[in-house]
Amino acid sequence: MSENKKHHIKKTDKETLKKWFHLMTLGRAIDNKAPNYLKQAIGWSYHAPFAGHDGIQLAIGQVFDKETDHLFPYYRDMLTAMSAGLTATEAILNGISKATDVAGGGRHMSNHFAKPEFNIHNVSSATGNHTLHAVGVGRGMKKYKHKGISISSQGESSVSEGYVYEAINGASTEQLPVLFVFQDNGYGISVPKKDQTANRKVADNFSGLKNLKIFHCNGKDVFDSMNTMIEAKQWIIDNQKPAIVQANCVRMHSHSNSDRHELYRDENERNYSQEYDPLAKYRRLLIRYKRFTEEELLEIEAEVKAEVKVAHKKGLAAPDPDPESIFDFVVPEPYVSEKYPEGLHNGEGEHKKLIEGLNETLKAEFRHNPDTFIWGQDMANKDKGGIFNVSKGMQQEFGIERVFNAPIAEDYIMGTANGMSRFNKDIRIVIEGAEFADYFWPAMEQYVDSSHDYWRSNGQFTPNVTIRLASGGYIGGGLYHSQNIEGAMASIPGVRIVYPSYADDAAGLLRTSMRSKGMTLFLEPKALYNDPLAAAPVPDDFEVPFGKARVRRKGKDLTIITYGNTTHMCVSVAEKLQTDNDLDVEVIDLRSLIPLDKETILASVKKTGKVLMVHEDKVFGGFGGEVSSIITEEAFEWLDAPVKRVGSTFTPVGFNRILEKAILPNADKIYAAAVDLAEY
Amino acid sequence: MSKTAILYSFNTQKTSRAAKMIIENYGKDLEEVNVEEITADKFLSFDNYIMGVPTWWDGELPNYWDEFIPDLEELKLKGKTFALYGAGDQKGYPENFVDAIGILGSVLENGGGKLVGFTKNEGYEFESSKALRGDDFCGLPLDFENQARAVKGKIKSWVEQVKKEFK
Repeated sequence: MSENKKHHIKKTDKETLKKWFHLMTLGRAIDNKAPNYLKQAIGWSYHAPFAGHDGIQLAIGQVFDKETDHLFPYYRDMLTAMSAGLTATEAILNGISKATDVAGGGRHMSNHFAKPEFNIHNVSSATGNHTLHAVGVGRGMKKYKHKGISISSQGESSVSEGYVYEAINGASTEQLPVLFVFQDNGYGISVPKKDQTANRKVADNFSGLKNLKIFHCNGKDVFDSMNTMIEAKQWIIDNQKPAIVQANCVRMHSHSNSDRHELYRDENERNYSQEYDPLAKYRRLLIRYKRFTEEELLEIEAEVKAEVKVAHKKGLAAPDPDPESIFDFVVPEPYVSEKYPEGLHNGEGEHKKLIEGLNETLKAEFRHNPDTFIWGQDMANKDKGGIFNVSKGMQQEFGIERVFNAPIAEDYIMGTANGMSRFNKDIRIVIEGAEFADYFWPAMEQYVDSSHDYWRSNGQFTPNVTIRLASGGYIGGGLYHSQNIEGAMASIPGVRIVYPSYADDAAGLLRTSMRSKGMTLFLEPKALYNDPLAAAPVPDDFEVPFGKARVRRKGKDLTIITYGNTTHMCVSVAEKLQTDNDLDVEVIDLRSLIPLDKETILASVKKTGKVLMVHEDKVFGGFGGEVSSIITEEAFEWLDAPVKRVGSTFTPVGFNRILEKAILPNADKIYAAAVDLAEY
Repeated sequence: MSKTAILYSFNTQKTSRAAKMIIENYGKDLEEVNVEEITADKFLSFDNYIMGVPTWWDGELPNYWDEFIPDLEELKLKGKTFALYGAGDQKGYPENFVDAIGILGSVLENGGGKLVGFTKNEGYEFESSKALRGDDFCGLPLDFENQARAVKGKIKSWVEQVKKEFK
């Protein structure tokens, strides 16, 4: 219970009490009405009622200041969102998924309330996913010396998710102005608290973290909730450290419309939860302490009824989303290179290694744009600059505020990058997503969710993040230092994927990534970092647009399409085929997988009639399967042979060099396949 | 002559059952008051109070007490004596065992009231409780869920103690 008594039934001014009663009654009226839309087949097919959370939700919205703060509500936060500024009409537009829904134009699930214009963020349905985003915003606030707080609101069961721990631990380590509000109603759907964690008050699990203050309040009580939230916010602003508010709530209804709580809560408990009704309690207090007469409250309730009626009519009259719009806002428009529209140059001079191309471009872009940041594991400790020293010297030049270490927590690295992007759209972030691409999998939940953001918010938000990952094998690294992940990643819309093979392309693609809006997965063939084969002259200002392949060798008899490590093998095989077999082979280095340069591919197919697809990733499920299908669909009549593929076996990559050689593609395998194809 | 009341919610089950046992053991004038209808004036009309205060959820006062707090915390309770009993579940809610007794007790103490009927913190298994004053509970915990058989005996000896401690 808060000792701060700023608000009290006997002291709070009547206008404020009225505003609260109006908001609570309005929210509850829509919460009660939501199931009707489903019954009438209008929409709102996902509805998680908030009844029982009224006190804390009102308070979150009331302490939130859209001019200075950021709010991340969860799927049960209708009253939170309305208290923070969402109108009744806007709540209904979201519920019935209309084109004018301010959260995302009907693209996101119902009951996921947001208003990005007010910094009320459009977030995932994956419980607690946004906790990392709130921490990222907190980091932005700290870096830019902004006075405000970032609020992550969530159910207590979300804290069972590992990434929520990562988020709170990170906010504690970095000392960020973030308020985590746990709305504790005792259940994660049907799973009771005792099956989530040993502490009934999960906030107490964090009592060992430094720099973190924990508050408890009665989330069913308006005054205790208001006083606690005000106190917690002030504490965060005064101390510039994070806090948790755990609010005891009660879930008066089922988890959602797809749940039936009578299957696991007995009648006694269900009645008990109804008795707790926070709105009824607040109403009783207003009457008991003579702050309002019954007539006055009835008048407000009548006003709310009329207001809901108007909002309902507006909602029904609103336009539905246009099916033609589905391709809008998948990936933002990239930076356009005026000087290098094809991503080609005639640069001469010193050959630079791939690692030098990356390092120098990173530094150049950091000099060019002061709103750039880079973090990751091993990123910045004395002379260490990333696991392979790609970012060597950056912290010395740009300082610890822009170049810094991350904990060994890949999801945290990815999720806080998304979050920091939300603080200011001008920020450009580069992350070393993991020590090796192999270790990026823990970050997949944030990666996948970040891939949704631009589309789900109807173009209102995109994470501006370049995810650098050292990829691939040929280093004797085995299962955890040799993987290629692009085949799996390419199945997820919303992220560009590039995989250069040469220093100049690496530099040019990195510059374009760092100047573009949106997410780019930047895969670096680590075996080539210092390989003279990948060295090239690199113009200081070189830029490579996305979706522009590079023909590394022109030919007319057979096309080899490749990228990454295998590009060099393919070029050498092509030379050998010319010498040994008098075959004139064209080698296309895709450079960019998403977007894909279909034009260059199809033009080559039409010229040669035979295609060998080569990549280091597995053949089965690899990206080459997609390229092959496109060719079959769009250039079948020009083919003189089936599209052939060379890549890894459908196994992990073995550590012993003998196993690695048997698994990964090499020049001999490519040569043999090319000869086969030529002879078809 | 001092007036004594027992205040509890008449709409409860366990708390009402305990109240009936207390009344039976008390054996002399004890006015029953439904706390759901209490007013400040009515409350002040007594000298000695036995109050039924079960703990709800994770350590909360029941609504009927909680909603009276804004009045209660303004009352001058000097010279008045309070004995609190309350239901709690030490296994289900070990972190907040009979917290409500402690919460209400603090409000009464802040108003100048005197708490009596303290009991030993023995024979219970719990982790923490706002009802603890040192090693003793500032009232009588009753655990109907886990120690139902002990309730009757505890009430009997507690009422004897309270009768002596009331003025």
